[in-house]
Amino acid sequence: MSKAILDVKDLKKHYSRSRGLVSALRGRDVVIPAIDGISFYIRENETMGLVGESGCGKTTVGRSIMGLTPITSGQVLFDGEDLSVLPPSRFLPYRRQMQMIFQDLDAALNPKMRVRSILREAVTVFDRPGNEGVDRRIRELLDQVNLKESKLTSFPHELSGGEKRRVGIARALAVGARFLVADEPTSALDVSIQAQIVNLLVDLQRDLGLSYLFISHDLRIVELISHKVAVMYLGKIVEMGLAGSIANRPLHPYTRMLWSSMVDGRSLEGSPSPGGRGTWGSLDFERPQAGCRFASRCPVYRDRGRPAVCTDPSTEPELLDVGRARKVACHFPLQ
Amino acid sequence: MAVEPVLTIEDLRTYFYSRSKRAFIRSVDGVGLQVRRGETLGIVGESGSGKSVTALSVIGLIDAEPGVITGRVGFRVNGTEWSLLPSIGDHVSLAEEDGRIVEVVKDNRGWRRKVDRLMHGVRGREISMIFQNPRVSLNPFVTIGSQVAESVLLNTGIRNRREAAEKARYWLEQVRMDSPGLRFAQYPGDLSGGMCQRAMIAMALSSEPSLLIADEPTTGLDSTIQSKIVELLDDLKKAVGVTTVLISHDINVVARLSDSVAVMYGGTVLEYGPADRVLSPDFLPKHPYVEALLESIPSERHIKDGLLPRAIEGEVLDTVNAPRGCRFFDRCHRITNGIEEKCRDLEPDLAEISAGHQMRCWLHIG
Ligand SMILES: Nc1ncnc2c1ncn2[C@@H]1O[C@H](COP(=O)(O)OP(=O)(O)OP(=O)(O)O)[C@@H](O)[C@H]1O
Ligand SMILES: Nc1ncnc2c1ncn2[C@@H]1O[C@H](COP(=O)(O)OP(=O)(O)OP(=O)(O)O)[C@@H](O)[C@H]1O
Ligand code: SF4
Ligand code: SF4
Ligand SMILES: [Mg+2]
Ligand SMILES: [Mg+2]
Repeated sequence: MSKAILDVKDLKKHYSRSRGLVSALRGRDVVIPAIDGISFYIRENETMGLVGESGCGKTTVGRSIMGLTPITSGQVLFDGEDLSVLPPSRFLPYRRQMQMIFQDLDAALNPKMRVRSILREAVTVFDRPGNEGVDRRIRELLDQVNLKESKLTSFPHELSGGEKRRVGIARALAVGARFLVADEPTSALDVSIQAQIVNLLVDLQRDLGLSYLFISHDLRIVELISHKVAVMYLGKIVEMGLAGSIANRPLHPYTRMLWSSMVDGRSLEGSPSPGGRGTWGSLDFERPQAGCRFASRCPVYRDRGRPAVCTDPSTEPELLDVGRARKVACHFPLQ
Repeated sequence: MAVEPVLTIEDLRTYFYSRSKRAFIRSVDGVGLQVRRGETLGIVGESGSGKSVTALSVIGLIDAEPGVITGRVGFRVNGTEWSLLPSIGDHVSLAEEDGRIVEVVKDNRGWRRKVDRLMHGVRGREISMIFQNPRVSLNPFVTIGSQVAESVLLNTGIRNRREAAEKARYWLEQVRMDSPGLRFAQYPGDLSGGMCQRAMIAMALSSEPSLLIADEPTTGLDSTIQSKIVELLDDLKKAVGVTTVLISHDINVVARLSDSVAVMYGGTVLEYGPADRVLSPDFLPKHPYVEALLESIPSERHIKDGLLPRAIEGEVLDTVNAPRGCRFFDRCHRITNGIEEKCRDLEPDLAEISAGHQMRCWLHIG
């Protein structure tokens, strides 16, 4: 069994909303616990899918791992080294082993640089293969992401959404990192190119032994590409396990809700209409819940006649091992 | 009974001139579309096929300096008709050398002014757009709530600030923004990707437009909220009769919301007709590209067998060197001996194959 390349321990990242002194003085600061104590590890050659509703903290997890945002507490171990305490000089070599495909199409693309320069910069992070070598590598990357060579002279604003996305992917791959955070890498791509990118990531993993944290709202792709999957709700992981079993036999009511809501109607027939009106699809940071964060939307909680254990502040469900490589945080897991 | 079209696009061509290549990038190359009142027109097609440029051309937001836009864009609402595309002829001059264009000079300022005059009172009010990249279209220095309220004040009958703020909150709730009270006071940079997207949708809807152009409104949103937004768009269509142009890579979403669908490829429309015909794999005949497109959607079967969906083989089209014949020629699997020569040398027309259903393929015409 290969060793863990990334080990995240009790990671927390809290944002406070206030921007001004005034609201701070009035005590009106709202703390947004974007990540509220999560732990997981990713092995070499492994893909972990991270899913959950918009705003649950997925991107924040990625940015925290990459050291792009200071974390509130916890540890991020890369190759066994705690990155959050390393001085910048020692952090850099590790940082280069990790790359991120950003959700925001423009995030990684310098608007003043042509595509060719963007890629050249990335290719030469580790080594200097000489002009010819660089050009060859750039051509290879373009081919891998199915981008025309004629786009090399374009500036980012001259690209379509999907073209920007592919330049972003090529840039992340160009560095030759061992670990990749892919944040919605297939959004803005048409299905055909999505398939190509997914196949590319799988091939690179097989050939080079890469590891991925794969963040996506497209559960079908997550299911296809991931070895294991973590489901996040309001800053916490509520269920974690092997990809196929998470999708086909969810134990947490939220996981079931997520998978049964795919637009194409591949819903798990017979499952009770999840959520109930009004609460559907809304996280609420304004009125954080005591106990289980999911209670106000939980069909099991409702059907069981609102058991007190679910909403008691002292018995917030913990992520517990239930065997077969599965963990779930719920007092009444589905069977 | 024929309902009058709200939007009529005729032979739209949007070319960008690339100085380094000394050639035109023909992003949109002769597109004609119509959307009737209360209808939703879906536009699908590969990345780079010209969907966004078509939309941006309609609302006069093409900014590339030495670009050329020609064609006709007619917009008609409540008996008033606008022609949204000024003639570019007065503003460009081409320098040719041996029949090759080597230099394009455009009086961009003059042209911009004309476009802006034409668009005044239309863009943002009568036509609003959900952009593909939400971050660029939100002002990073103004809170979400103020931005939406501002749009309400500018574009609807509401003149009172408090009312506008209330309305803004209403729209934020409509797009399922979580904790809307909290988000109201946040800046775009503090929002997650999906929240930004929802803020933008709220913004576009808040002006209560006659025509909504939605460019990838649901990418980056998870399935729960995606289905909510789809429902919201559906409700708006049924209740208020909003006319919509919906651009999306998500064929399921397009199939669910659209009345008619145009499939674009390399700047042109390859198939155009009723959504239930164009997007149903079982409805024949199919354009070879559309057939391949529908096959590349990951399905139940892929997941069960652990298969990755199949990409359409071959490279995407280079709009700088568009081929002489059919644009799909290099990747088409359906070419027969009888038509091969025609496919290679002659671009087929977009021809009617049955009432209201058009196709651009030699297999199905002549
Ligand atoms: N710079 C910031 N300041 C304040 N709050 C922030 C900041 N960045 C993120 N947040 C908050 O943290 C929470 C999690 O955001 P994050 O971007 O991680 O979500 P996400 O799961 O990636 O969502 P999406 O699927 O929409 O991209 C959100 O409530 C967001 O508003
Ligand atoms: N300002 C510009 N200058 C030069 N080329 C451009 C410009 N804007 C767009 N293009 C090119 O025109 C083509 C069509 O772009 P468009 O944005 O319409 O694609 P799209 O169909 O929306 O694709 P996607 O699904 O990736 O968003 C692309 O190849 C793009 O590179
Ligand atoms: S702990 Fe209770 S409220 Fe929370 S998910 Fe489980 S059943 Fe639902
Ligand atoms: S015209 Fe010929 S090449 Fe083009 S799609 Fe039809 S069969 Fe294929
Ligand atoms: Mg995100
Ligand atoms: Mg686009």
